[in-house]
Order: sequence, then structure tokens, then C-alpha cells
Amino acid sequence: MAAKLEVRGLTKRFEQGTGSTVPVFAELSFEVANLEFLAILGPSGCGKSTLLRIIDGLVPADAGAVFLDAKEVTGNGHAHGMGFVFQSFDLFPWLTVRGNVEFGMQMLNLDRPECRARGSHYIELVGLSGFEEAYPYELSGGMQQRVGIARALAIHPEVLLMDEPFGSLDVQTRDLLQDELLRIWQQEKKTVIFVTHSIEEALYLGDRILVLSPRPSQIDRVIDVPFGRPRADDIKTSPEFLEARREIWALLKHSARI
Amino acid sequence: MHWLRNKWTLRALGIACALLIWEALGRTVGEALLAGPLLVIPELVELVADGEMPRELAGSLRQMLLGYALACCVGMPVGVAMGRSRIFDAILRPWVNMLVVTSVASLVPLLIVMVGTGFGFRVLVVFIASVFYIVLTAYQGTRGIDPRWVGVGRSFNASRLRTFWRILLPASYPFLITGARIGLVQAIRGMVVAELYVLVGIGGLVNTAGLYISTANLLALMVTLMAVGVTANEALRYVGRRVAPWHEERYANGA
Ligand SMILES: Nc1ncnc2c1ncn2[C@@H]1O[C@H](COP(=O)(O)OP(=O)(O)O)[C@@H](O)[C@H]1O
Ligand SMILES: [Mg+2]
Repeated sequence: MAAKLEVRGLTKRFEQGTGSTVPVFAELSFEVANLEFLAILGPSGCGKSTLLRIIDGLVPADAGAVFLDAKEVTGNGHAHGMGFVFQSFDLFPWLTVRGNVEFGMQMLNLDRPECRARGSHYIELVGLSGFEEAYPYELSGGMQQRVGIARALAIHPEVLLMDEPFGSLDVQTRDLLQDELLRIWQQEKKTVIFVTHSIEEALYLGDRILVLSPRPSQIDRVIDVPFGRPRADDIKTSPEFLEARREIWALLKHSARI
Repeated sequence: MHWLRNKWTLRALGIACALLIWEALGRTVGEALLAGPLLVIPELVELVADGEMPRELAGSLRQMLLGYALACCVGMPVGVAMGRSRIFDAILRPWVNMLVVTSVASLVPLLIVMVGTGFGFRVLVVFIASVFYIVLTAYQGTRGIDPRWVGVGRSFNASRLRTFWRILLPASYPFLITGARIGLVQAIRGMVVAELYVLVGIGGLVNTAGLYISTANLLALMVTLMAVGVTANEALRYVGRRVAPWHEERYANGA
């Protein structure tokens, strides 16, 4: 199968206070298959957010390119129309749930009935029917991120980019939303890149896991997750899951020491 | 004693105490220096019933509102422009910073030389008294807009124009409204200052009242002005809650 998304030789440096420029990552290359759920796992500060922002077109890369359906999208100066789900939700506090979900569609100049209909569909899909007119401050963190997911899906993106979307939620909410995300993914049929620093989350959600080393980041290992679909909560306690988790843990610990 | 914890009980108690102290002080120093509330309140009733004071006050407020409206129309866009554009910031900030600390009263003689003492003068004083506060609040507010919201807009390919109307502007509502509130209080002060100089309106009445033997009349006018200020402030606070209901809640939750 042809790759949906290809990242080729991506390099990014940031100026540091001292003027030195240690690259965040260098010569990063990987592919994401159509409808694949790719998890990217790496320690904090290794450049995961930066990578997603380059893929989305929010930040320019210093070298390398991103291809969507074999067409280069880097360097065209605007965002690439992917759905971005942010770690801190980043909803607009002055808009209701409906307003937030419809925002992206309005930027695409979709007509009002279309915005309404799609908005309602995605609000229902993420389980927020009845909260259309609520403001973000009236919602729990988990509900806010459901809005974030609906907002990203509503523009019918080719690729969904998720930057530690459940990282700031409590454990129960997080487990619940992982299952919700799998259900939504199965229903919506999307290519997903999901960034996390939780081994368990990467294993539970991903088809493959890209393990990044600390800065300057490289791809340490690509792991094919051996669990079938649909997945349910109980695999998290299966011996295979625990063993896989232990292996990745050892890998991360090893690279951290270097 | 849990009735003591009630906000309204405490407030009423505070006001009662202040009135008592005021009355006691008034009786000690005499009404030529400080009339007590028992003299001021009947005086206030009489001022309102007589009709002259409400008429003058209404005239003063009309001019004040015109100057204040102009200050909002000019101050808000200028403040937002300074907050979002480095060029505007560099050009205007020194002037705004300088003029905001300049007392309007000290500018009055110059303004009289320039524009005379008519209607335009009074509107201008009110304008100058309030505009810089409105500019500065709008400036601080728009500068502090969370860049993550702008990032969300970029991710959805919002044009610059739409980023402004759909993200930057709503994000600055709370600050525009705070600026409007501070500006209104300043506008009322400016109104009195201008009128004290040219002896018209409510300020003119205040000036005349200063010549009376009893201070009851003067204090009744001051109570009136305070009431106007408090009412205006509360009215704008209410508008703020209606326009940006999400703002106070956000801060109430510590976000
Ligand atoms: N705009 C920026 N300017 C300078 N340094 C940055 C910038 N953005 C990120 N960095 C640095 O790049 C590194 C990677 O950041 P980030 O992509 O947020 O990592 P992660 O998401 O994996 O935690 C961090 O060390 C961070 O300090
Ligand atoms: Mg990050």
C-alpha cells in the first residue's frame, strides 16, 4: 500500500540562548500507511510537538520534506489542512461547543447548513449531544478534549495529528477517552499520528510505534504492535501486553542513559 | 454569629458605621466644615426636588458621554493596533505613557487658550481624561492574548483578517470592557474638572456651593457625583458579564 504520509529527512534546529543550535531532530524519515494508527513515543523535550507542527505546516523545517499522498506539502506557506488535536485542548473560551466545532469548517467557507449538520454529527460522535450551547469553562477536561477531537474531525482532514491529547487528564478519564478514540477511529476511518510519552497508551492505541531517542532525536526503533482490532481494555493486563511494555521500557531506559 | 458572614449584612453594617462616624465628626467640627448626613440627606432631597441640579447634571452627563464615546471609538482601535503591531507600539507608546500620567487639570489652561471654553472644550477635556486609560488597557490586553489561540487559527488556515475578527477581537473583549470602565470613571472626573474651570453644569454648582456657609449643599452634590460614578461602573460591569460571560468564570476557576 502506498504511504498516506511520508516524512523524509526532516531536520529542525532552534536557536538557544547561547547562540548554539543543537538540532531537535536530524534526518528524521518515516512513512504512515493509509488508515494507519501510528503512535510516536518519546521522552519529553525530544521534539514530538515540533515534529507534529512541522507536519501540520505550522512551523517550517530546516531541511527535509513532508509528502501527503506522494505530493510535497512542505514550504507552501500555509497549514496543510490536517486535523490537529492539542495537548492543552486550546478551545476558544468565547465560543460554545458548537461554535468551537464549527470554527474550522467556517474557515473552509462551508455554507451554514453544512456546518450545522456536520457540527451536530461530530458533537454526537464524541458523545457531547446536549452540550452544544455550553461554554468550555462549563466542561470537564475530558469533555473539552472531546470538543477538540470533534473540531479536528469536522474539517474532514486527510490525517489526524494528536499531540499528547490525553496527557493532562486524570487516569480514569484518560482510559475512557482512549476507548472512545478507538471507537471514533474505527467509525471515521482516518490516518492518525498520535504522540505520547506513555508506553501503555502507545501500545494500546497504535498499529505501530515509533520510538524516539532524546535530543537530538532519532528513530530508535519501530515496533509493530501485535494486538488485533477491535481492542478492549482487558488486553492491558494480558501477559503479551505487559511483556511488550517491559521491552519498550528497557529500550527507553537504555537510550536515556546514553 | 453566622449572620455576620453574610455579604449584605456586612456591607450594610459597614455603611451604617461610616454614616455614624460621619455624623459624629460633623457634630464635632460643625456644619461649616463638615455637615453630617442628617443635614446632607434632606439637602439632597431638596436639590433633586428643586429640579435645577438634575437639569445641570443631565447636561453635564450628555457632554461627558459624547467625549467618552469619542474616547472609546479612538482609544480601543488604537490600543488594539498598538498591542498587535510593533510599528504602532513603537510610535505611540512613549506618547501614551507620558500623557496617561499627565493630570488633565494641568492641561486645562492650555486647552482653554487653544479651543476656548465652550462645548468643544468640555468634550475635549473628558476625551483626554479617559482616552489614554482606554488605550493602555486595550494595549495590555491584546498583547497578552494567548498565542495558542492564534496557533489554532493558523492550523485551520484562518486568514489574517479572520484571525483578527474571530480570534484577536473576541479574546480582547474583557480588556476592552475593563478599559471602558476605567475610562468612564476618568471621564466623569474630567467632566467635573472642566466644569470647575468654566463654571457650568454640575461642576459649576459645586463651585458655587463652596461659597456657602454650610457644607451640606456641597456634600449633597458630591454624594450625587459618587452615585453617578458607582452606577456607571456597575452598568458597564453588567455589560461586560453579558458580552463575555466566559471571562469571569475562567478566572474564578483559577485558569
Ligand atoms: N519556538 C521554539 N524556540 C526555541 N526552542 C524551542 C521552540 N519550540 C520548542 N523548542 C525546544 O525544542 C525542544 C523540543 O520541544 P517540543 O517539540 O515541544 O518537545 P516535546 O513535545 O517532545 O516535549 C525543547 O527542548 C524545546 O525547548
Ligand atoms: Mg509536546
